[in-house]
Amino acid sequence: MKREQLAIIGNGMATSRLLDELLRRHALNHFDITVFGDEASPCYNRILLNRVLLGGEIDEITLKTREWFAEHRIRLISGKEVTRLSAGSQRLWTNDGQEYYFDRAIFATGSLPRIPLLEGMKRSTGELKHGVTAYRTVADCELMRKTARPGRPAVVIGGGLLGLEAAKGLADLGMNVTVLHLFDTLMNRQLDHWGSTMLRQAVEKLGIAVRTSVGTKAIVGNTKVEAVQLKSGELLPADLVIFASGVKPRINLASDSDVPTNAGILVDDQLRTQLPNLYAVGECAEHRGQTYGTVQPVYEQCVVLADVLCGSKPDAAYQGTKVYTRLKVVGLEVASMGEVEAKEQTDEVIQIIEEQKQTYRKLVIRQNRLLGAVLVGDTSCAASLTQRFSRGDLLPPNRLDLFASSFRSNDQPEGPVCQCHQVHAAQIQQAITAGCRTLVELGSRTGAGTGCGSCRGRLSSMLMKSKTADAICPIGTN
Amino acid sequence: MSIPLPLHEPSPGAKTHCPYCAFQCGTVISGMPQANVTITGDSDFPVNRGRLCIKGWTASVLLNHSERLTQPLVRGTDGRLSPATWESALDLIVRRFQETQASHGREAVGVFGSGALTNEKAYWLGKFARVVLRTPHIDYNGRYCMSSAAAAGNRAFGIDRGLPFPVSDIVQARTLMIIGSNPFETLPPISQWFEQQQASGGTLIVVDPRRTPTAESAQIYLPITPGSDLALANGLLYLALEERLLDEQFIRTRTTGFDAVRRTVLAYHPAETERRTGISESMLRQTVRLLAKQGPSMILTGRGPEQQSKGVDTVLGFINLALALGQVGQPGSGYGCLTGQGNGQGGREHGQKADQLPGYRLIEVDAHREHVARVWGVEPSSLPRKGRSASELLDSLGQPDGINALMVMGSNVAVASPDASRIAKRLDSLDFLVVCDAFLNETSAFADVVLPVSQWAEEEGTMTNLEGRVIHRRPAQSPPGEVRSDLEVIVGLASRFGFGRQFPSAQPRDIFEEFRRATSGGLADYAGITYDRIDEQQGIFWPCPDENHPGTPRLFADRFYHADGKAKFHVVEDRPGGDEPDAAFPLYFTTGRYLEHYNSGAQTRQVGELSKRRSKPGLQIHPELAQHWSIDDGSLVMIESRRGRVEFFAERHPGIRPDTLFAPFHWGGRDAANILTQGALDPISRMPEIKLSAVRIIGVRPPESMEPRT
Repeated sequence: MKREQLAIIGNGMATSRLLDELLRRHALNHFDITVFGDEASPCYNRILLNRVLLGGEIDEITLKTREWFAEHRIRLISGKEVTRLSAGSQRLWTNDGQEYYFDRAIFATGSLPRIPLLEGMKRSTGELKHGVTAYRTVADCELMRKTARPGRPAVVIGGGLLGLEAAKGLADLGMNVTVLHLFDTLMNRQLDHWGSTMLRQAVEKLGIAVRTSVGTKAIVGNTKVEAVQLKSGELLPADLVIFASGVKPRINLASDSDVPTNAGILVDDQLRTQLPNLYAVGECAEHRGQTYGTVQPVYEQCVVLADVLCGSKPDAAYQGTKVYTRLKVVGLEVASMGEVEAKEQTDEVIQIIEEQKQTYRKLVIRQNRLLGAVLVGDTSCAASLTQRFSRGDLLPPNRLDLFASSFRSNDQPEGPVCQCHQVHAAQIQQAITAGCRTLVELGSRTGAGTGCGSCRGRLSSMLMKSKTADAICPIGTN
Repeated sequence: MSIPLPLHEPSPGAKTHCPYCAFQCGTVISGMPQANVTITGDSDFPVNRGRLCIKGWTASVLLNHSERLTQPLVRGTDGRLSPATWESALDLIVRRFQETQASHGREAVGVFGSGALTNEKAYWLGKFARVVLRTPHIDYNGRYCMSSAAAAGNRAFGIDRGLPFPVSDIVQARTLMIIGSNPFETLPPISQWFEQQQASGGTLIVVDPRRTPTAESAQIYLPITPGSDLALANGLLYLALEERLLDEQFIRTRTTGFDAVRRTVLAYHPAETERRTGISESMLRQTVRLLAKQGPSMILTGRGPEQQSKGVDTVLGFINLALALGQVGQPGSGYGCLTGQGNGQGGREHGQKADQLPGYRLIEVDAHREHVARVWGVEPSSLPRKGRSASELLDSLGQPDGINALMVMGSNVAVASPDASRIAKRLDSLDFLVVCDAFLNETSAFADVVLPVSQWAEEEGTMTNLEGRVIHRRPAQSPPGEVRSDLEVIVGLASRFGFGRQFPSAQPRDIFEEFRRATSGGLADYAGITYDRIDEQQGIFWPCPDENHPGTPRLFADRFYHADGKAKFHVVEDRPGGDEPDAAFPLYFTTGRYLEHYNSGAQTRQVGELSKRRSKPGLQIHPELAQHWSIDDGSLVMIESRRGRVEFFAERHPGIRPDTLFAPFHWGGRDAANILTQGALDPISRMPEIKLSAVRIIGVRPPESMEPRT
């Protein structure tokens, strides 16, 4: 059977995951795969970018090396951008004029940082001024690392997940960092008022200044940034200005190629675009009106797309992802899922605020199912909550049970302590009260501990607790 | 039944080993033969050091049991099993096997062995299949036991021995993580080693969907989602990378292949791991820090992570973690598998596995075939090739090109196999079934011939316990009635087939001498082991290539068993199981064992004291889930999977995950938990996925309801 030509445009995290899923389904039996990546660097894990910022090598976060591609017989065309694609003739062209045929092509072009247009941000050449950068690529991190000087000022524009991570990284490099945020609370998409307030306190404790509800007007400086001017006119000196104001799907190639797009490339439940043989996956895709910026939806989409392409599960359908977000960079554990505010009158809200302990926990419940949650400081129940949230489990009548970690509840069954002889705690307690001081005495009085002996640890601690601990001496067997 | 007469008087206080699990406790059997027998733990045996669980000390009941088979049974034209002479029963078997092979080919006869058989039996049975029947289709219930851990061990270390260290090493582990095993109930006397480990300041971490007695004893309990153990292993390695906890020098000098693993686990972010496993990030971090910083660290797995369609990869995931942290090789560290069956270890080394020959040799390797053929005095080319694995073998029963006649020795496959209704149909479709056992059971219900065979304390032989220690099973009394040993059955059949020369003896000591030669030079080399040496040294650890060799308690101190002496990392990726919960079947179902029973219950259900305490399987259910369904303790709850329905009585227990139901698998018939389970196979070990099925609750009746069963 002739193998189909499968083109994957983009060489980021979505592509890496998609290749894994494809290989697991033995896709090379059906396809010759070519990956087009415009960055010359190999594909790496963006979530670990701060490692590079703090001095790590790109290799530490590289997902797939050139050797990997060679070993798995997947063609990698890197350092070249796909500039044109024709759905009709099933061809695409790279910026060096090379033409490639495909049977099917996948847009995995990811997203681009959203950089607001500010006065003075560019040099006369059209490039960003020195010291102005996004926080999105390894190159960005290397630039930040090179520019950072202890004791010098830096400004991060954007108080979301990425902005706080960049701020923490720069603070670790010794800079005096100010975070500017357009909205009145940090991480406003994932946290409510209380959650943000606690987060802000934690951020400020690290010596990072936070300014909320502030707009930025201009970048001041000649070829190199010197300050940021706020809408109020105030000037904030800065050696470095980092844009972390969100991302937008990278759709220019698709829209130039007449693939229908909105905010992202429009896809159906099988990740098909509206043109035949063209698919989109990851942050560039828009599914049921939703685009995503975290990895979990990308992973879930890759599973479905691989099933669809390989025919391994023809009815595979992507249903959308219930998003779960984690943050830990500022030394405070934060978890968020779903809706963080009640929307309907019948929605239930449970909040536990412990200001002294710096913890905050909130549940939003609709029709006996978890609609969303915010956890700050104490996230020990986050894992079980996110499972209940994504599966849509019915919740226990006592909502507080949800906060108990490890599913422990108070109604522990009174099983026997000694399984072999079915001796219960009450009998043992009685024997201790009656004067049993050693395992031997306990054993001869109640039989406990004289079988397999696996309860002797617990018996010893019961003896100890009763302050008659003159002995955990070994006893004879049986 | 006839009154059994002793053939010889046993010595009072005979020392032997328990009939059940892989811990193989040393026991002392005393009292008058055939009556008032008592069993106590042997305090001289260094593994159990005198301890014994309730199964062990009540096992005496099995020796003089009224239900004991004492005569061969043959199914007559009336469809009933009736007593027959040994001569007629063996003649019938030979005739039917020959007829089957004449009309359907050699491969139409299959053999199914057991991890309960001694090394001598496993060896003799494998040789019988290959030399006499010349069928490739011999496998055994050990596939359900540790085949995934075995395959992983071979891949990572170049050798498979359940524990590559003596059990006493556990004490030295400053951090010990047990995944998917409940040894406090399944091998209770091992708990003394965990207690000692904790008493000397060590930390115990237990990973299980249920807060078992083992988990209760731990400092850290991780309530894992069924089927997500591999995500946990990779997720922990991700955190080790992130927190720079790796032992770079160990990785560099003693392993290969880490780089690819490192890149793969970069995808296992804590948020992903939390969602898959249900274990919080803080617990994950605490766990990996303990494993890395509070060494030596030891990781032990049980059937939980192994009985999955990704069982091999899951074990490899934990081995990757141990290797990356440099926690393999020195006392108190390492990866080990808590083997289940009495001779699960020896049973898999000596040729009753479809792909293996004695001494852990491989049936597809020419040099290995030649060695064994030479010992057996046959042409290497006459040996069959690799046959079907246990699940596939059972699936093929009565099917076109499948198996028409089967001999089962020491295994109750009708209860122990996943998707039990399907197995019952397959057994029923056989032309001819022979079962060798001491009691009638669910499998012998399908048999045409049942042969009464001797059991543990009535026979001699060697077993290899979970540590790789070869021990001596000694007789304490003679078998009742006309009972013969499995070895005699094999010899009786072989001589009728005209292979008396290859099977000259049914005496274990004679067979052991040939067996030593057959294993010589193999990975599992027993050549230097003798019965006398075992007795002198309280067991000998293999490999033991010659009589001056002390045996090998610890395997990996200096080198691993791949040609380059290094351990190999393997890239492993999490994936869904064969039957994950969905909207229609929203709950996980998992199985396991009770303290009171052993495996299919064929033996322990015969012991009054045990069956009185646990006479039926209970359904463990979290109070929260029970409340949704108005289920009380004792309610009768009908559970359905895509394969069948079983009604259990409910036992509410706050220690189980609210999304998971548990029932033990010791019972057959309509109480069989395995009616619900599925058998998606691991692509490497062919282990069926017993530990993970999707189910739903479809009906609840009040406790002790008088209404008829639906």
